[in-house]
Amino acid sequence: MNNITFIQDILSNFFFIAGMFFVFLGMLGLYRLPDVYNRLHATTKIGTLGAFGVMMGIVVKLGFGPMGIKAITVGLFLLLTAPVAAHMISRAAHRHGVGLCEESTLDDYGKTYCPMNSSCAVKHEETIEDEHDQM
Amino acid sequence: MKRYVLYSIALGFVWCFVHGVVNLSNFLIGAMIGPFLIRPFKELYSFGEEISYREKLNRIPKQIHYFSILIVEIVKASIVVAKIVLQPKIDIKPGIIAVPIRAKTDVGITAIANTITLTPGTLTIDVSNDKSALYVHCIDIDNAKEIRDSIKDDLEEYVLEAFE
Repeated sequence: MNNITFIQDILSNFFFIAGMFFVFLGMLGLYRLPDVYNRLHATTKIGTLGAFGVMMGIVVKLGFGPMGIKAITVGLFLLLTAPVAAHMISRAAHRHGVGLCEESTLDDYGKTYCPMNSSCAVKHEETIEDEHDQM
Repeated sequence: MKRYVLYSIALGFVWCFVHGVVNLSNFLIGAMIGPFLIRPFKELYSFGEEISYREKLNRIPKQIHYFSILIVEIVKASIVVAKIVLQPKIDIKPGIIAVPIRAKTDVGITAIANTITLTPGTLTIDVSNDKSALYVHCIDIDNAKEIRDSIKDDLEEYVLEAFE
């Protein structure tokens, strides 16, 4: 019986440390990478895995009790919401004219619409209204 | 009516998981509150289409397979980005490319967009107006064709099987 709790402790601590390490790397990426879009890469992917690691640590430590099940739920919700948040932030940034960094080589998306503070902004607003009408 | 039953069952499970104790009474409470929650947001669920329980049930193994692949991909993605972050000098060539997709329904497009965001080196920004292509930001755009092929062959197959 003692052995099992010992192994449980080691495993859960391993998950905690791995999760914390990935969260740390996410923060480091947020600081080091050049522009909004690259930073979102760091925070969504690494952040999700880091938080998931911590949740797994809780599950291993406490078993499938009320706490463990709630931890799994939180992990799954993060898995669902992190990509959506990243998508909304990057889309809003691009539409408001936040440019890509200098190293960027290609921008297919920029050709498909008019940025908000350019001369064709009026036309852009009209297209947004059209989209609402369609909905 | 079928949709109400299906979503009530799903929301019952969600209620159980949020509550922390999975048992029959909790499930029934969640399933009973479910329809009142679905009612105001009826437009968001596609009530127009006909669905069959059998088809939904047949898809569950494929969806489990899809989630197992997704988790492996997330771990790979984190390691790829972690390597880039830990380089002494950051040497990347980011860019936005258009990726054509085969998914037609809204659920399929949402699923594939989220999958792309959680897989190595790519981040979905927007879907084109005619819903035929996604705009994807790649952290290292050495070979645009290779990225398109990997999305098409590896990920899209599973998403189409699981959600369309």
